[in-house]
Amino acid sequence: MSDNLQVLLLDDEPIVGRRLKPALAKIGCEVEVFEDPEEALARMAQQEFDVVVTDIRMDQIDGMQVLEFVRERWPRSKVIMITGYAMMSLAREAMEKGAFDFIAKPFKPDDLRKVIAKAAKALGSEIDFGAAEVDKANG
Amino acid sequence: MTSGPGAAREVNLMPLIIVSADDFSQGREIAHRVAGVLGYRYVGRDLLASVAEQHQVSQEELVQALEDPPGFLTRRSRRQRLLAFIEEGCLQQLQDDGVVCYGLAGHLYVRGIAHALKVRIITEVGQWAQAIAESEGVPLERAQKVVERRKEEQKRWSQDAYNLDQSDPSLYDMVLSLDTLEPDKAVEIICDTAGYRKFQAMTYSRKLMQDKALASRVRVELMKSFPDIKVEANDGTVVAYLQSLKKDQRKKQEAVRQLAGGIEGVRHVEVHVIRDYFGQAAQSSR
Repeated sequence: MSDNLQVLLLDDEPIVGRRLKPALAKIGCEVEVFEDPEEALARMAQQEFDVVVTDIRMDQIDGMQVLEFVRERWPRSKVIMITGYAMMSLAREAMEKGAFDFIAKPFKPDDLRKVIAKAAKALGSEIDFGAAEVDKANG
Repeated sequence: MTSGPGAAREVNLMPLIIVSADDFSQGREIAHRVAGVLGYRYVGRDLLASVAEQHQVSQEELVQALEDPPGFLTRRSRRQRLLAFIEEGCLQQLQDDGVVCYGLAGHLYVRGIAHALKVRIITEVGQWAQAIAESEGVPLERAQKVVERRKEEQKRWSQDAYNLDQSDPSLYDMVLSLDTLEPDKAVEIICDTAGYRKFQAMTYSRKLMQDKALASRVRVELMKSFPDIKVEANDGTVVAYLQSLKKDQRKKQEAVRQLAGGIEGVRHVEVHVIRDYFGQAAQSSR
């Protein structure tokens, strides 16, 4: 198994995965992107991911169901919820159900990288921000 | 990813605990004890000394702004300005997790913050009046009238200052009555509740707190020239709402942009003008 942080990213808007995958790869994450929650759940039934990043509002299966699935199947995994419909009650519900963090859209890739780094730390690992910083400095 | 020993430790994300009470001294005692038990930082009326110094006002005036009912000596615009100073100072302190806040009206300006556990301590008239009757040596009936008047004044104060009725239980996550609970039990309940995951700090709610702090900083600056201005902030974008006559609109918008644009943390300024119809009517009838 790779030493890199294994991240599953689920969002039904293709642009989110296209934008975030390279941003996370720069800090050494191995990212699998899904737009269909059913496919993501099928993949997570096979393999444990260190971090799962999931949108909340999606058709058929929503992010809360994904969170519940991961918490039950892989309790060690850290789940980060992202949503364009953030409000206090939803945030509290997600945290109560075991989310590691909750982020409102829109956010900058760096915001997610910081949360991923915290998740890695909680898992007993460190993430090297060096590559991302060099990339940012180069514009 | 590099793995280390002692893996799988949770990052501690402590909530904010905002306590308010209708009997000030009992609430303060409980808030203090909660901070002590949890090892949180206590932010209370001591903060007013630095707020007073920063804005060159007296500490006594700040206390009056927090306590006196509307229409009591201080002009409303002056009082709103003093409260804005307190709000700014308090929000600055609440950027850290693991804080117990009391006596600064925090419960009225941290609404919508998921990691702020808002607790109201209530004391029914009878018990409170008994305490006043004993401590001040006045008849119970008179003490009861004092308490009833204080409760009414507190309600009018919050409605006037923040357009909210602070006796409304829906403003709080938890309302504890000292008629049915001993203070020890109240402390225990608050400390237990603070451990619930739903009140943990998260990126979303921390960002909202940063936005509130920035908005309050900008508002304090703009109130010098525009006493009734309202300000919102989102990730460095500031939206200011001000009243203006049509003829002054552009000049005022530009002035707000200039003032707000120079404040640290502000990246973009939008100014929305609410037409001052009363002022307009007054001018046109001259």
